[in-house]
Amino acid sequence: MKKILKNREMGLVILMIAISVIITLKNGVFLRPDNILNILKGNVILALVSLGMLVVMITGGIDTSIGGMIAATTMLVGNFMVAFTGNVVIAFSLGILTGTLLGIMNGLLIAFVKIPPIVATLGLNSIINGVMLYITKGSYINNIPKEFINFGKITLFKFIPDGKGGVIGVPIQIFFLIAAIILTYVIIKYTKVGRGVFALGGNKISAERLGFNVNKITIFAYGYMGFICGIAAILHTSIMKQVDPNAFNGFDMKVIAAVILGGVNVMGGEGSITGTLLGVGLFAIINNGLTLMGISSNWQKIILGTIMVFSICFVVIQRKRASKHIVKVEIE
Amino acid sequence: MKKTSKERTLIVVFIVIFLVLTFLSPDKFLTVKNIRSMAFQFPEFGIFALAMMVTILTGGINLSLVTTATMGGVISALIMVKLYQNGVNETLTIIIAILTAMVISTLCGLLNGYVIAYIGAAAMMATLGTATLFEGVGLYISKGNSISGLPTAFYWFGNGTVFGIPVPMIIFIIVAVVTYILLERTPWGQSVYMIGCNKKATMYSGINVNKVVLGVYMYSGFLGSLAMIIMMSRYNSARVDYGSSYLMQTVATAVLGGTAISGGYGKVIGVVIAVAIMQSISTGLNIFGLDRSLTNVITGCILVGVLTLNFITGNFNLKIKKLLKQ
Repeated sequence: MKKILKNREMGLVILMIAISVIITLKNGVFLRPDNILNILKGNVILALVSLGMLVVMITGGIDTSIGGMIAATTMLVGNFMVAFTGNVVIAFSLGILTGTLLGIMNGLLIAFVKIPPIVATLGLNSIINGVMLYITKGSYINNIPKEFINFGKITLFKFIPDGKGGVIGVPIQIFFLIAAIILTYVIIKYTKVGRGVFALGGNKISAERLGFNVNKITIFAYGYMGFICGIAAILHTSIMKQVDPNAFNGFDMKVIAAVILGGVNVMGGEGSITGTLLGVGLFAIINNGLTLMGISSNWQKIILGTIMVFSICFVVIQRKRASKHIVKVEIE
Repeated sequence: MKKTSKERTLIVVFIVIFLVLTFLSPDKFLTVKNIRSMAFQFPEFGIFALAMMVTILTGGINLSLVTTATMGGVISALIMVKLYQNGVNETLTIIIAILTAMVISTLCGLLNGYVIAYIGAAAMMATLGTATLFEGVGLYISKGNSISGLPTAFYWFGNGTVFGIPVPMIIFIIVAVVTYILLERTPWGQSVYMIGCNKKATMYSGINVNKVVLGVYMYSGFLGSLAMIIMMSRYNSARVDYGSSYLMQTVATAVLGGTAISGGYGKVIGVVIAVAIMQSISTGLNIFGLDRSLTNVITGCILVGVLTLNFITGNFNLKIKKLLKQ
């Protein structure tokens, strides 16, 4: 199995290299450091949320409420900052708290009321979005305290030469992403709950019989997704320097598409962080690179859709070929 | 038609909501004018909901439902406009355009069904990919603009009436009846439910599962084209983003109507009542003056509430059965 995944990830890497080469041939700006940093900064949120979505999808579930969760968190924290203080630590704590609570609500509905994940998250999304839009009337927040905006502008390692003769640094948001990647990796690989996520996704009944507390694992998965959404909300506000309640409509489909591209099994039980990051990377390169090449965004969607369909077929056919060699024991 | 507790709950919920809404705006909600306007609005959503329901019955989902419909619609609108401008007979133009939309959306359904049944990809993944692909094609062909200038006779489909009943409503009733007969009164329909219950057992029963699933996705695409035709006629134009907010709502409505998301259970009448509930809430609360965003909240609450109710009554029934067995 690991070999197949490695093959798939190699396939993604090759595809990314091929596309990058084509783009660079057409427009040399693509590989310039400031463009690469642009791509990174523009897709930090997508990558971050994909990590959370990966955990949820490994349990075999899905979370379509991320748009609402992130928007609600940005509205809450934004209003709080305007009213009280721009202290970064407080903002982060508030954001994380809100996100995790919303995520746990999802988890409770799914674990205890046994509502299917897609429906529970859809319902909760309507409710959260509706309440938020009603309270804030959909207005932007533009007067975020200077303290917070300055935090968003911090860049470290200011010695990378950009192609124009100056030096730029790596935006701080990317370090948050790296921290999240490490955290997710540690959780998935080394904690009981993390291993339980894989067990639950593989076969729920087996996991129960092995002694895993399936409800706790479900609540954890969706709570973790909420936690990540909280961080993403704060980071997004720090990049955009304003709060736009409609910025995340349709974001959930983008995230799901990127994670699927990265090789997660929608039935649960399989998935890797590398794969997800590669999926997001492919997304990012296609979006940025095709724009640099002057290809209209309509073609981008067609190319993206074709790649998705082909890569899905590729994975499935590989999996079928591999499983012919495995003897299966049916438990149910 | 055997009515189980799920559908009985739904009818009760619908009656309660209808009464509440009438009570809230007595002279505005229960008027002929309002009911007629609702009857013009809800068929397109209702047909989409039924199209989504058939795919959910097999244990899958059709996330590309709306984009296949809009892509077919955009292409057919272009053809309609071109033919009309070149002086081709109006009726012929409309017939050709409608057939084009149906054929294109059914072919898209064929692609979906092929990838899901014969290649074996998960429905969510496959339809997400094809949705992006079809959206791209639709955007490319329409250049993101809306296509207008449709022949005036086309207006009838979305806005005309026959004996006082709006044409869209008639189309919806025909679709609902046909879907009901197909699903609950034919062997093919039986096999759809069986596949949703247990795919392997169905395969071993000698039913060609792949063919049935292919047919289901083609039917779903076909129904999508019907909904798009109604939308095009009502808006007198075609655009790729028409109906984009409908996608997730149709899933919610199908589930509200009692369809099990894992497949194997779902009644047409349930989905129809659910569509009526959603539409009544949306229109009724609008008339009452409630903010649009709160309508979303209430819809979400009703969805979660009805499912919780189903869960509780399900548990309750199980406990009663256990007691009776002892």
